[in-house]
Amino acid sequence: MLKKIKGWFYPVTKKLIIILAVVAVVLSSVIILAATKPSINTVDSRISTELKESSGKMYAQATLDFGIFNAVRGQNVKNGKTETYIGIAGDTKKVDDIWAEPFADIVFWMPQLLDGAGTTIKLTITSVTVGIFLSIFLALGKISKFAVLRWPCSAYIFFFRGTPLLMQLFFIYFGLPLINPAMAIQDRFLAAFIAFTLNTAAYVAEIIRAGIQSISKGQFEASKALGLSYAQTMSIIIIPQSIRRLLPPVANEFIMVLKDASLVSMIALSDLTHATRTISNSSSTVLVYIPAMIIYLIITAVFNYIFNKLEKRFSVYE
Amino acid sequence: MSLIRTEKVCKSFGSLRVLKNVDMHVDEGEVVCIIGPSGAGKSTFLRSLNQLETINSGKIFIDEELFLHREHNATVEKISPEKYKSLLLEMGMVFQSFNLFPHKTVLQNVTLAPINVKKVSKADAEKKAHEVINMVGLGDKINQYPSQLSGGQQQRVAIARALAMEPKIMLFDEPTSALDPELVGEVLGVMKKLAESGMTMLVVTHEMAFARDVADRVLFMADGGIAEEGSPDVLFKNPKNPRTQQFLARVLNRD
Ligand SMILES: Nc1ncnc2c1ncn2[C@@H]1O[C@H](COP(=O)(O)OP(=O)(O)OP(=O)(O)O)[C@@H](O)[C@H]1O
Ligand SMILES: [Mg+2]
Repeated sequence: MLKKIKGWFYPVTKKLIIILAVVAVVLSSVIILAATKPSINTVDSRISTELKESSGKMYAQATLDFGIFNAVRGQNVKNGKTETYIGIAGDTKKVDDIWAEPFADIVFWMPQLLDGAGTTIKLTITSVTVGIFLSIFLALGKISKFAVLRWPCSAYIFFFRGTPLLMQLFFIYFGLPLINPAMAIQDRFLAAFIAFTLNTAAYVAEIIRAGIQSISKGQFEASKALGLSYAQTMSIIIIPQSIRRLLPPVANEFIMVLKDASLVSMIALSDLTHATRTISNSSSTVLVYIPAMIIYLIITAVFNYIFNKLEKRFSVYE
Repeated sequence: MSLIRTEKVCKSFGSLRVLKNVDMHVDEGEVVCIIGPSGAGKSTFLRSLNQLETINSGKIFIDEELFLHREHNATVEKISPEKYKSLLLEMGMVFQSFNLFPHKTVLQNVTLAPINVKKVSKADAEKKAHEVINMVGLGDKINQYPSQLSGGQQQRVAIARALAMEPKIMLFDEPTSALDPELVGEVLGVMKKLAESGMTMLVVTHEMAFARDVADRVLFMADGGIAEEGSPDVLFKNPKNPRTQQFLARVLNRD
């Protein structure tokens, strides 16, 4: 009883007060900065007429609104000459420092990188989630005593684990329309989602099967002796116990899919890796790999954190 | 009236014949102990009764009603699923290795089957659970997980879990064999108390003292059949079958 109450009414601790104070400071600074930033037009007007006029049609401009600051970059595409201005806290600054320039570059790449990261995350989460759902049925099918279920499920798992994911992706995106144009999947994301889901389902099914079979026979026998049905035994006794054992390998699968998601660049879907390469090529710079890798690591760290929490939650009884 | 009766029960694992025409019965209120050497088929027999093993041939009657009739490895007389389930639930089983559900508390272990199988309300199931958990002397452990209990306590919870289903007969397969010697007594104590309350019990055991003190009848099983049976007084003091004599000489000397 006491335990439950504790969970609901978070005790007011020193830690909580510090967190609240930090949040309050950050929030108010954001609000003040957002209110005092110079407008895009103000920042834009600082770009020298020289640069604009000398480049003529070869003039390219990027303007970014980051909430707390505005940034404008003008570029003469012909000779690569750029001018960058940042407007922050009521002031507009020209970026011409050798140390500040790389940061300005990263700032200007960010929208494209985050867009790619969004695709990567979306693909990973949707395909792993739906894949896990499918995998439960595949795993139960593979250990079923009925050959009509066991056979197709085993074959499915064997096929999708035994052939390259990239080939499966190509088959779905490029191959299907060749069989019948009506089967063409126009949406690249959808094609990638289907390939990744089918593939993940096979891998996770194998994880789940091993998890279920690692539960001692005695658990099945006790359930049977008490009159529980097969469905009840699985859902109340076996699967909840396997979940804790499944979490580490499933977390691993999550991270594998996150990284395999870079394969979608092969069907010209712009994920984080694809975006990174595009920027690297067009600006001939290697610098862009640093923020890209940091984004990957942040996503991985967040996944790890969530799975560690889940693991703790599911091991209360040990 | 016999609660369990078997006729010519046979069971093989591949070419190994483990049970050979076993005929036996347990009457209402009776405590029957099965003793015998390792590999005799005692566990297999007990597990055949509540369908953890499927027999090749023979008949099993529960509460004087036909529960199972198989010949040549096929069920001959089919009974309705409802009847099958209700007869199955007349037997409660306690395993050598407890087999508690580790992710459920003591209370949840005990209420799980009544709620999910018998569809008893949660309140009624918990009321019954408190009763049986108190009976095995673990009223103070009700919200603990099995891993927090000693082996003896876990086995007592397993007994409570079976009792909560209100079976007419309790099957025990060497309930104390997995326990440290100092924990055996508390489990046997609970079983003795249960016997005194009038519960019908069929107990496979290596605890000869328990069989002698508590059993109404002792079956000596050897080589897939019941080689000898009788009251504990007769069987332990005056065994007729040479195999019984041999077995008793061995186990009683060891004690
Ligand atoms: N699932 C199985 N598959 C194959 N053989 C089995 C199986 N279960 C039991 N046996 C064999 O059947 C015989 C009887 O086993 P059983 O467990 O019934 O003996 P027991 O009398 O309970 O012995 P113990 O006192 O050691 O528990 C043994 O030879 C055993 O090896
Ligand atoms: Mg045995």
